[in-house]
Amino acid sequence: MTTASATPLIAVSELAARYGHIHALHPTSLYVAPGEFVTILGPNGAGKTTLLRAITRLIASSGHITFNGRDVTGLKTHQLAELGIIMAPEGRGLFGDMTVRENLVLGAFKAKPGELSGRLDKVFTLFPRLHERLDQIASSMSGGEQQMLAVGRALMADPKLLILDEPSLGLAPRVASEILSTLGLLNKEGLGILLVEQKAPLALKLAQRVYILSSGSIQAELPTNQIKSYHDLARYYFH
Amino acid sequence: MPSSVELIQSLINGVGIGLVYGLVAIGFSVIYNASGIVNFAQGVFVMLGGMFAHTLLTTLGIPIWLSAIVSTIAVAGVGILVQILIITPMWVRKAPLFAIILATLAIQLLIEQIIIITLGDQPRTFPSFTPGGPLKIGEIALGYQLFWILGCGALMVYALTQFFNRTRMGRALRACSQNAEAAALLGIPVNRMLMLSFALSAALGAVAGILITPTQYTAYSVGGPFGINGFIAAIIGGFGSAPAALIGGIVLGVVQSGAIVFFGAGFKNVVALTVLLIVLLFFPNGLFGGLAKKA
Repeated sequence: MTTASATPLIAVSELAARYGHIHALHPTSLYVAPGEFVTILGPNGAGKTTLLRAITRLIASSGHITFNGRDVTGLKTHQLAELGIIMAPEGRGLFGDMTVRENLVLGAFKAKPGELSGRLDKVFTLFPRLHERLDQIASSMSGGEQQMLAVGRALMADPKLLILDEPSLGLAPRVASEILSTLGLLNKEGLGILLVEQKAPLALKLAQRVYILSSGSIQAELPTNQIKSYHDLARYYFH
Repeated sequence: MPSSVELIQSLINGVGIGLVYGLVAIGFSVIYNASGIVNFAQGVFVMLGGMFAHTLLTTLGIPIWLSAIVSTIAVAGVGILVQILIITPMWVRKAPLFAIILATLAIQLLIEQIIIITLGDQPRTFPSFTPGGPLKIGEIALGYQLFWILGCGALMVYALTQFFNRTRMGRALRACSQNAEAAALLGIPVNRMLMLSFALSAALGAVAGILITPTQYTAYSVGGPFGINGFIAAIIGGFGSAPAALIGGIVLGVVQSGAIVFFGAGFKNVVALTVLLIVLLFFPNGLFGGLAKKA
């Protein structure tokens, strides 16, 4: 069980971003406690992806971010990754012309040579299909397999916080459920997860807490065990 | 009609100069792969390689092998400086790609002017790495420098292919070319990779310049023609792939060499550019476009 009073794994304070003159993300604060599974829900265009891109410094933003109590506001994307903040981005972000093996090895870019095989074994345990497709070009795989590779590659980086942007997008329900269940397993092992997802029922089963984002602002923060029905959420979507 | 000896001789000469074009073309591909930038200052690295090596060899009396190594490292340093002082600041400020490409053209002209001021505008050359020659096979004459060009060219392409496919940094460079954001999210320092690509390209250009100078000459102005021919070679082969760029270079070298034999030196570029247009018409991604991005 996690609480806000413990030092959060990541704490985002007054994070704001804009594209030109358009405020895509109004000052927003959130946190993920160590070992916590947090989901961000919201309608299309709510600013969910912008929020994740701002957290990982893929876009310029104002505000503050601490990670394990350390101020990481000024760090660049790759430096955040070195600390353990790893994101599987929207659209999977695979290196499509490379093989499954090459994608996975690149995930462990910062790993010591001796750590590689252990990490590969762990990924193959979670996603045996990747082991069968090691020499296949990533872009030639099915959508589900590509998503497995995106998650597997992120795990190769040995994340402390795994951020995922709509991993179920475009996948058959069974495959999406399989991937999200794997995230649940990883969370049970203690991995902090911040998930942006549109498939609310699946995400809410796994998460301990949910933020509702709409029109670039957080409208609500709810423990998932207090959500009786999805109608509870809908009123925040269309505030 | 040229004799068979003339044809064979021209083919061999074409392969030799084509390998040099190929090295320049690979330089274009390396930077393009890492950043999407077409570095039109690529030819200037060829010129600097020859000029630096000549200066070290003739002014300071340093042996050719050491002059070549020092020159290559120095030109790689120039490549890094270009990246740090010009490319990265524009990149960070999100300058449009065409503006960055225009800046590389300005860099070419600027460096040429600096060389005129510091080293003069007179052409110069230095002897072949191996004295003597040429090697005669029947009526065909093979200059010893040709063997150096063939050997070094093949070695460099092999080494580059291994680098891109088998090393951590090489894979990271390819990753940056395919999806720089995803690469950064995995901890790959994209900006440092861009620096590495400039250093590599500059070094490749320098090697090309050092190899070719004994067979021709070097001067402040040779960068332009080598840059253009390297660019054409990269397009013919298929932008983004080292082996394709090399083959594009050899095709271009052989075509130019054949054009000289059949039509005269004045038609060298006419024929080469016609071939380029034909390739673009029928193979818009180059002859080996399918190899693109795979080293």
